[in-house]
Amino acid sequence: MGGSTHGTSRRLPPETGIAAGLLAELVAFSLLSPHFLTGENILNVTLQISITAIIAAGMTFVILTGGIDLSVGSLLAFVGVTVAGMAKLPLPPAAATALALAAGLVLGALSGAFAGTLITRFRITPFIVTLALMTVWRGLAFIVTGGRPVWDLPEAFSVMGNGRFAGVPIPTLLMVATFALSWVVLERTRFGRHVLAVGGNAAAARLAGIPTGRVLVSVYALCGGLTALSGVLLASRLNSGQPNAGLMYELDVIAAVVVGGTSLNGGRGSVTGTFIGAMLIGVLRNGLNLLNVDSYVQQVVVGVVILAAVMADRLRRRD
Amino acid sequence: MRHTAALPALVLLAALAAGSCSRPSERAQGTTIGVSLLTRGHMFYRDLEEGLRSAAEERKYTLIISAAEFDLGKQTAQIEDFVARKVDAIILSPVDSRGVGPAIRKANAAGIPVFTADIAAQEGDVVSHVASDNRGGGRLAAETIARFLDGRGTVAIINQPAITSVLDRVEGFREGLAEYPGITVIADVNGQGVRDKAMAAAADVLQAHPDLGGVFGINDDSALGALDAARQFGRGRLVIVGYDANPSAVDAIRRGTQLRADVVQFPKVIGSKTIEVIALHFAGSAPPAVVPVEVAVVDSVSLSRQRTD
Repeated sequence: MGGSTHGTSRRLPPETGIAAGLLAELVAFSLLSPHFLTGENILNVTLQISITAIIAAGMTFVILTGGIDLSVGSLLAFVGVTVAGMAKLPLPPAAATALALAAGLVLGALSGAFAGTLITRFRITPFIVTLALMTVWRGLAFIVTGGRPVWDLPEAFSVMGNGRFAGVPIPTLLMVATFALSWVVLERTRFGRHVLAVGGNAAAARLAGIPTGRVLVSVYALCGGLTALSGVLLASRLNSGQPNAGLMYELDVIAAVVVGGTSLNGGRGSVTGTFIGAMLIGVLRNGLNLLNVDSYVQQVVVGVVILAAVMADRLRRRD
Repeated sequence: MRHTAALPALVLLAALAAGSCSRPSERAQGTTIGVSLLTRGHMFYRDLEEGLRSAAEERKYTLIISAAEFDLGKQTAQIEDFVARKVDAIILSPVDSRGVGPAIRKANAAGIPVFTADIAAQEGDVVSHVASDNRGGGRLAAETIARFLDGRGTVAIINQPAITSVLDRVEGFREGLAEYPGITVIADVNGQGVRDKAMAAAADVLQAHPDLGGVFGINDDSALGALDAARQFGRGRLVIVGYDANPSAVDAIRRGTQLRADVVQFPKVIGSKTIEVIALHFAGSAPPAVVPVEVAVVDSVSLSRQRTD
């Protein structure tokens, strides 16, 4: 990751463009709405994006290997209802909550590892494997709940999603910790280098002695584990397990990663970019709501901004 | 490079300018009410929205209308936005009557009064709930279907569970049928309240029960989906009763299809009554906790009477 010695403009980190976009949003909304630039609202935005942003951190690793995971929204629901069911076990509430959290994370990581194994062992493309698992996890979420939300969770369970620590919502703190750890793993560890190598050129990586199969299984397990963390947080925030939670979340998650400058072909991208991408979309939604922009118009605006961000990134790289 | 970085910013500003032109400016001082509807994709909610808008216009209230589109996470975020924006009141049609509790409690903690329209909340403090008498509507549907079936036969319910208003309808329907021992409910399937899914669910029921007498669709999309399936299977004598009386359902009844009758709600009245109840609250008087809005039945007879009037 050594700095390049070319002209000064080349020295700017690749996230500069998207960061400028986010800044423009912040300035525009601050000028347009008196309700936007308050500490409470900024915390509110970070709370709202935390669920998809945490998954997007995991998705960044998957996409860096040139893969994709379409099953995250369904897995989030499946883990959410399973965890909600476990939180109701006749144990002391704190113990039940801790057990449910641990089991949820294991379930998510195993589900991800299962997807990774199908992809590497049977050489099925990630798109197909995760498309199939998308309906499998969703179906299981409906089966274990009989189609009804899981209610009556212990009070202790709702703390993770609704509590605050030092005035900051706990999901926000977990999101920041997730991105900090993801950055360290990607930029400072051998595993991170392997992920980039596999995505850059899988054949060359294999020749260089990188265990590509193990790397792939690991990134899907990581993505599954982070999806599970989001599933637990969402169930806690809603104080219920919703079998139809997370519909279309995979698209929000992939949008955050792509807007953040990570290439869908793999090998190039960063978790910092993903974080800024998630913020850009989250701030946009919040700002449009505060400005009372019609919800039909909002959908168009969000799509146009995603396109514009990716176009700007493409143009910049051609320079 | 510099100019490409500015591109998303420019697009955003243009979009914002376009967006803010399409709605009255939020800077108009006065009363602002945040609305989170279940969806904006159903006729019923579009009518309810119209009722809200026209009544709010009369009283010079500003409405911020959003829709959760059946996603409780999205609805929670919308309520949080309203709290951050410090609106004067919030109107909800909850996605999940109990799951919406934590979000309502956030509004409660911020001292913002919460009202529900069409669908009730079971957790958190709600000042007033305005809705059709859904249980009564279900009972009306049962009486109607029993009348068309001469008190004998089998019926299926095209259901959409986990929504209180629908649970009430179906409970009322089963209560109503209990008075007709000759009629049994042999299937209760989930059509998810949308036409294509309802058609698939109804087709499965028709396949399994060649002698099915009647179908109760918990809304018009469910009833029209059942009608599509009945056509496909050539079941000319099936009796379908729907709920909501949207124009396409009324048209189907008028044309003499298997959709014989509909329970009609008055969503515009629900919308306007909700605003009236909020005005009462602002004026300092305590509105009733539940404000029922009447329902009725339409069939070909009542429709032709309407025409000649």
